[in-house]
Amino acid sequence: MPREIITLQVGQCGNQIGMEFWKQLCLEHGISKEGILEDFATQGGDRKDVFFYQADDQHYIPRALLIDLEPRVINGIQNGEYRNLYNHENIFLSDHGGGAGNNWASGYHQGKNVEEDIMDMIDREADGSDSLEGFVLCHSIAGGTGSGMGSYLLETLNDRYSKKLVQTYSVFPNQMETSDVVVQPYNSLLTLKRLTLNADCVVVLDNTALNRIAVERLHLSNPTFAQTNSLVSTVMSASTTTLRYPGYMNNDLVGLLASLIPTPRCHFLMTGYTPLTVERQANLIRKTTVLDVMRRLLQAKNVMVSSYARTKDASQAKYISILNIIQGEVDPTQVHESLQRIRERKLVNFIDWGPASIQVALSRKSPYVQTAHRVSGLMLASHTSIRHLFSRCLSQYEKLRKKQAFLDNYRKFPMFAVCAPISYAHSYIDLLNTTAASVMYFVSLVHLYVVLTQVISSIKNGQDNDLSEFDESRDIIESLVDEYKACESPDYIKWGMEDPNNMMTGEGSDSGSLDPKS
Amino acid sequence: MDDEEDHQKLPDLVKELILRLISQNNNNTIDSPNPNSSHFQSSLRYAHRILSSRLTPSVSPDAAAIADSVKRRLATQGRSSDALSFADLYTKFASKTGPGSVNNKWAVVYLLKIISEDRKNTKNLDTSVLLPNLGLSDAQLGKGSGSRVSRGVEKGWNNGILLVAKDSENRREIAFREFVNLVKEENEVSEEVLVRDVIYACQGVDGSYVKFENDNVGYVLSDFVKVPRATRTMVHKLCELGWLFKKVTGFISRSMDRFSAEDVGTVGQAFCSALQDELTEYYKLLAVLEAQSSNPIPLVSESASSGNYLSLRRLSVWLAEPMVKMRLMADLVEKCRVLRGGAMAGAIHLHAQHGDPLVHEFMRRLLQRVCSPLFEMVKRWVLEGELEDIFAEFFIVGQPVKVESLWREGYRLHDAMLPSFISPSLAQRILRTGKSINFLRVCCEDRGWSDAAAEIATDIGATARRGGFRYGETDTLESLVDEAAKRIDKHLLDVIYKRYKFKEHCLAIKRYLLLGQGDFVQYLMDIVGPELSEPANTISSFKLSGLLETAIRASNAQYDDHDILDRLRVKMMPHESGDRGWDVFSLEYDARVPLDTVFTESVMTRYLRIFNFLWKLRRVEHALIGAWKTMKPNCITSNSFTRLQHAVKMQLVSTLRRCQVLWVEINHFISNLQYYIMFEVLEVSWSNFLSEIDVAKDLDDLLAAHEKYLHSIVEKSLLGELSQSLYKSLLVIFDLILRFRSNADRLYEGIHELQTRISESSVSSRNQSKSRKQLVDKSVDQGSWIADGRKALTQRAGEFLRSMGQDLDAIAKEYSSLEEEFISQLPVQQHVDLKFLFFRLDFNEFYRRVSPN
Repeated sequence: MPREIITLQVGQCGNQIGMEFWKQLCLEHGISKEGILEDFATQGGDRKDVFFYQADDQHYIPRALLIDLEPRVINGIQNGEYRNLYNHENIFLSDHGGGAGNNWASGYHQGKNVEEDIMDMIDREADGSDSLEGFVLCHSIAGGTGSGMGSYLLETLNDRYSKKLVQTYSVFPNQMETSDVVVQPYNSLLTLKRLTLNADCVVVLDNTALNRIAVERLHLSNPTFAQTNSLVSTVMSASTTTLRYPGYMNNDLVGLLASLIPTPRCHFLMTGYTPLTVERQANLIRKTTVLDVMRRLLQAKNVMVSSYARTKDASQAKYISILNIIQGEVDPTQVHESLQRIRERKLVNFIDWGPASIQVALSRKSPYVQTAHRVSGLMLASHTSIRHLFSRCLSQYEKLRKKQAFLDNYRKFPMFAVCAPISYAHSYIDLLNTTAASVMYFVSLVHLYVVLTQVISSIKNGQDNDLSEFDESRDIIESLVDEYKACESPDYIKWGMEDPNNMMTGEGSDSGSLDPKS
Repeated sequence: MDDEEDHQKLPDLVKELILRLISQNNNNTIDSPNPNSSHFQSSLRYAHRILSSRLTPSVSPDAAAIADSVKRRLATQGRSSDALSFADLYTKFASKTGPGSVNNKWAVVYLLKIISEDRKNTKNLDTSVLLPNLGLSDAQLGKGSGSRVSRGVEKGWNNGILLVAKDSENRREIAFREFVNLVKEENEVSEEVLVRDVIYACQGVDGSYVKFENDNVGYVLSDFVKVPRATRTMVHKLCELGWLFKKVTGFISRSMDRFSAEDVGTVGQAFCSALQDELTEYYKLLAVLEAQSSNPIPLVSESASSGNYLSLRRLSVWLAEPMVKMRLMADLVEKCRVLRGGAMAGAIHLHAQHGDPLVHEFMRRLLQRVCSPLFEMVKRWVLEGELEDIFAEFFIVGQPVKVESLWREGYRLHDAMLPSFISPSLAQRILRTGKSINFLRVCCEDRGWSDAAAEIATDIGATARRGGFRYGETDTLESLVDEAAKRIDKHLLDVIYKRYKFKEHCLAIKRYLLLGQGDFVQYLMDIVGPELSEPANTISSFKLSGLLETAIRASNAQYDDHDILDRLRVKMMPHESGDRGWDVFSLEYDARVPLDTVFTESVMTRYLRIFNFLWKLRRVEHALIGAWKTMKPNCITSNSFTRLQHAVKMQLVSTLRRCQVLWVEINHFISNLQYYIMFEVLEVSWSNFLSEIDVAKDLDDLLAAHEKYLHSIVEKSLLGELSQSLYKSLLVIFDLILRFRSNADRLYEGIHELQTRISESSVSSRNQSKSRKQLVDKSVDQGSWIADGRKALTQRAGEFLRSMGQDLDAIAKEYSSLEEEFISQLPVQQHVDLKFLFFRLDFNEFYRRVSPN
């Protein structure tokens, strides 16, 4: 019963970071590219079966599903050096191979169409594990497949595996450079809604910050995708070390996340990692003690989420929770000293409405991966400043939405389409115009009446508006931002209960699903 | 014997003697001395002159004494074989009586002695010196320089004061004779008799006048004998020796009689034999004295010529030294009468600290003899682990014990038997070394130590043979013990570490009993949990053992050594009625011989206590995480509540929030307690333990290190004596948390049900299915919920939420008061590490803000 975790890699980005993740795991567990355990790796004391299972021929196979609507990246994997690692039954490519065209709606729609196939694969994997702990979804929120299809998968998983955990590694788009995906704000918003409602934990991988870190910290003038992805894989593997190397605490995903996410809705985590290196680059950091590592982790420049906050807001921002996973040879007494120093110097600003502390997990380092540093650390933290990231998503969405730009792409899909009765109504009105004063006119008129009553009734049900999904998403993100903001105040406990206006806005809205507190 | 013959023989003998001496002295110049040479003639003449003179030596004419002194001299010069042959010759010479034998044996021996001494003194003089006593004639003969001659003369006369008696004063002699008569009149007993009596008394025999008086406890001169006071005192003083002697011999004979009995022992035997040797010396002296006492005491005038008599005064001089020794011996005997073995040696040792070199030397000699059995025992013990001590004299005592307590209780120091010249620390080392050997032999079934012991024996044996290993050579003893201890202990630790895998077992205990192997513990908790909720008496430990096996196989524990896994067992503690499985379940680790010396029963009991606490804590943590899972965001899909009444919705929101905030607080407490246990308690103690193991030199160090490790865990994890009240309040908190969990579960269950009803009712009323929720719940009261319609639904929901909210509030109130109590106790604890716990619990100073006091 190894508390298995099934990884779903969706879309181009998801598969790329997933591939890097598996590469890293294989290195750390001493598993060869073919999936065979290396001779030197027999005495590890590590748990491979959380992320791998063994095939009949003793090959280690990742519990991973590779899903994409276009074949480019997955073909790359299948032709790459790790092609024999994956279970080929677990690779899903759409038949047409046309992708989702960076359209969330297209991804979502296609997801719906292939639900059966994918759920079959997931069920098979789930049946193959003794005590499934949950799913990890790797995707980006800006594109089409990862965001759209990923969103669909999140909802489906919630239905079918409501007792299992769903954690996502979600790549947020780089907002510093103009994207070739103009509808990125739409996609992001729609995905964020699912991440808020249907995921238990979202590890935010902000491409903006990753780029910044690559440029500033690693001195790469023009960081490539491969380089930023290796940062991502480092974070992903480090955040799973306590699951893979059992110790006294934090041996399962629930245990790890439960303390990190005291407020279920605020489950977006920032990450920080130090010391960072990319491909045997010269070490920029020489000294690594526990205190150094923990201090560096608290510095904003090492955090892999960009903060858009103004200084005033930034000073208000508070940590809801922090977990530092320290890897390497650490004298446990140092941990306490470091915590003391951090508290003395007031390096951390915690929430006021409840007790909180820096949690530290010590984990072993893989003996098969040589690193120059004695100690390395990963921070997973819930920090209220992340709301600025969402605010920015919202504002970008508002800009685009105000212009009513690019909505047509979405309307092509049922979810956003002008609902069927209305289009019928349009056609009847056309008929009325052409068949004036004929029998057909009356027939059309009667039809029109029927159709319009349907329209009215559906309006009453709040289902008619083709763009209601957008509004609903926007409201949910807004309330999420509000909740994060409320966390900064000492009165969080009473938030949302004594402010009737707040409740009223939730109550009155058409989408109506505002229950931000649950 | 014919006088004529005698007279003829004598000159020839003299001649021959001189010839011999000259030839010996002059063998490089004159090869064969001519008896007719003038040189020889003059020497002969000189000799005749001396012989015809009336020179007498001042020494008492005691042939035996002279012979003895010759013997001693030879012996001190290291010519023991010569001494032996001399003694042999002398006895032959002395035994010759009858016709043809020498009458004046003493004179002959004395002459020879004088001559030999002179020859030695003049060895570096010119060869021309013929007879030292003839040096004068040498000078007359003009041979040799003047200065040398005068030295020769001096030397010659150093041998004694030559008194020339003058026989002319007859008057003086008459006066003396009168004085003697006077003395004789005054004294009923002559001094000779008294002297003999004293000498008898000194040998423990009653004389005719000096008798042993039991009431007076000593030899006394009987009062009826009329002697001057001075004489009486002197006799009395001298007789003390006899009294002392009697005591010593009494002790010896008493001990001899009981040699086979237990209460004498080898040390006692050695003591007796050493005493006897000393007494032999004493007997010799007495023999000489007795011989001398036969000589009549001359009158004052006579005493000038012949000195070989014994007066009381002389006797007191002679006996001064034996008196000191005898007093010492008597003292020792008195002290040692009830003592045995090491205690006896110790008591004797106390007397050795004496400034008088005579006493010091005497005591040293005695102690060397006395202690030799002890040292032999030490050697056997240290090198072979054998307790060769039939008479229970050694300062180490063994007692038959069970194997696991051999180390702790099998042997101990017997303080009374510890001689004071062995320091307690050295004694400890000695004890431990032998104990180590026995431990290796009995518990570890190891034979390798004998190699180590043999090595030491060869190394140390060399020094021991050089005469070092005995009393007085504490350095040698210490180095032997140290060396032996070092190697044996090293070997022992090697065996413990390598063959019996001490560290591995410690680690295994840490991983399984102290829950270090998280994945294993989790599975165990998962599968054993439901079972443990049953009443304790219905639980089968067989089933639990099976589940333990499953947990091992499912977790990474399966890769552990089988030897280790085999030792892991389920243990059900004794239970009372009403106990749940949680109260009695624990794990046990079977340490087995020889590690059960470290992991004794009491140690394991403490481990079990720790396990119990950690297991409880883990259970609470488990429950909390379970509660979190039910609070997952996707569990309460907000969609369904849109159609609820505003008030009810508010109630829902507020109840949920309260539940969450309470969860946050509780989880913070538990997880920080866990972190504290992991870092401040387990890991820190463990790393200290490891570093102490590394420097441990022997099993005792190891035991101490382990004891410290265990103690620090017990203390820091609130299980110690000092923190009992804390521990109790902690248990109350645990119970409360478990109650919270069931409440939270009920709340969420209720909300789920509500959700289902709402979507069902909206389905039925709107004929639309928007909810993606699968309706799985088919509980009985489902019908009633729907049947009552929306209004009733809302009402019921309101009621439910209200009651849940009240429950939660009650729990929250109770919890915060309990926690406050717990936290407020922390800063006043003695234990410094508990301050760390406080620091962790209040990291963001939340509690300080909430309750500034």
